[in-house]
Amino acid sequence: MPVHVSAAVAGRVGRRPEGLVDLLVEVGDRALDLAGRKPVDLLFVGAMAAEALGETENLVPQLADRLNLEGAGGVRVDAASASGAAVFHTAVQELAAGRAERALVLAGEKMTSQPVAEVTRVLARSLAPSEQAAGASMPALAALVAQRYVSRFASDPAAFDAVTVQFRRSAQGNANAQFPTPVSPEEVASSRLIASPLRLLHCSAISDGAAAVVLERGTGPATVLGLGQGLDALALVDRTELTSFKATRTAARRAYENAHLTRKEVEFAELHDAFAPFALIDLEDLGFCGAGEAAAWFLDGRTAPDGRFPVNPSGGLLGRGHPVGASGLLQLVEVARQLRGESGSLALPSAPKTGLAQSIGGLGTHVFVTLLGSAGTEAAA
Amino acid sequence: MSEAVGLLVNGCATCHGRYLPRPGRCPRCGSDRVSPLRIPPKGTVLAATELSVAPAGFTAPHRLALLEASDGVRILAVVRGALPTIGSVVNVIRDADVYVVVDDGSPVPGGGPA
Repeated sequence: MPVHVSAAVAGRVGRRPEGLVDLLVEVGDRALDLAGRKPVDLLFVGAMAAEALGETENLVPQLADRLNLEGAGGVRVDAASASGAAVFHTAVQELAAGRAERALVLAGEKMTSQPVAEVTRVLARSLAPSEQAAGASMPALAALVAQRYVSRFASDPAAFDAVTVQFRRSAQGNANAQFPTPVSPEEVASSRLIASPLRLLHCSAISDGAAAVVLERGTGPATVLGLGQGLDALALVDRTELTSFKATRTAARRAYENAHLTRKEVEFAELHDAFAPFALIDLEDLGFCGAGEAAAWFLDGRTAPDGRFPVNPSGGLLGRGHPVGASGLLQLVEVARQLRGESGSLALPSAPKTGLAQSIGGLGTHVFVTLLGSAGTEAAA
Repeated sequence: MSEAVGLLVNGCATCHGRYLPRPGRCPRCGSDRVSPLRIPPKGTVLAATELSVAPAGFTAPHRLALLEASDGVRILAVVRGALPTIGSVVNVIRDADVYVVVDDGSPVPGGGPA
């Protein structure tokens, strides 16, 4: 049974005065309006740190109460920073199995009401206990991965700067982006060091934000063509590879198989660029180019909106902001809107029919890949 | 390898993997034929980073190194001195619940050859 996105809404990302529930209600209300207020059977919610950072509990009834959805059923889904993608996958599988007709899927995160040190500490709880004991944080481990990448492939470190420059340029057209201003390569390269070699402008920000989609059975321009997820060892030291995320490779293989598609049929992607080097690793892990080749793609513009393979035309996590549990669904909203012709000034000149979203939970430990498009009518799941 | 200076690791009798001590079965093959053994307390620096903001309980700048010890054992270690060069060999000790890079790789007193 095919499932498609019939409404897709991204909220404004940044420092927001509202709490988590209000952020989710705003996008949920708009999505229900766009879907014509048709009855919803399921209310699925994704959030990573609703308790620790959002200071709220019991999310589904809180939202059902505000959105007049007491007649629906639902659950909260958590997969760390991939929660927004995980909840989308869970809802699609419920509809595809025929257990419901229509679902409202929400994902959000409220991060800015806590001090930066507290946010860093909570996010680091995703890491292995042994890594936390050593004082590791997400940027610390991302920096070690980035260094290995540069050493192994003798990559031009300017490629990391080029990633940020491209995504910040794209974010200019995104009315919901936290960083809608362009930056020069020099500004990126001279921004404050966070964890050598990563600088401030190589790292996604602390953000509030939410997204909503309505999923319905049947087909449309943004039909779910394939789903895949993958896991990897929790600790970086236990990974077989340090310059690639096995969880992405597993998730991608499963999603392509599920969709009966190959990577060659995918026309653009929204990738998880929590740190600029991840955009290179993601592009390689998803099979769009070989290991060590992605730097050239970003340096020569192949990944720009008018390039051969557009990456993150929405601005990605670096441009849009990274409300952790919302980002996976924000990516899917952007892919669906491209396919549905709703992207406005962000619309890709190639008018793509098939797109991919990849969301990473933890430091590459849990990855979700989603293929959307109008090309096929294969049922996911 | 002297009991006093070797680094305690787990060794798997099934897949012959070596890894840092952790509860449960071998993380690589799932075997329960795991027993403790010691490896030389040295590692080659794969990567090292300096954090401008220290996590709670540490002082800035906080430095970390990713090391490869013998038998493919990888270690995330705290660096208390200068950031080591990638590719260099350093000595590492276990101090409370963290691994610490202690110097530039010169022999540990009484440690014998690695």
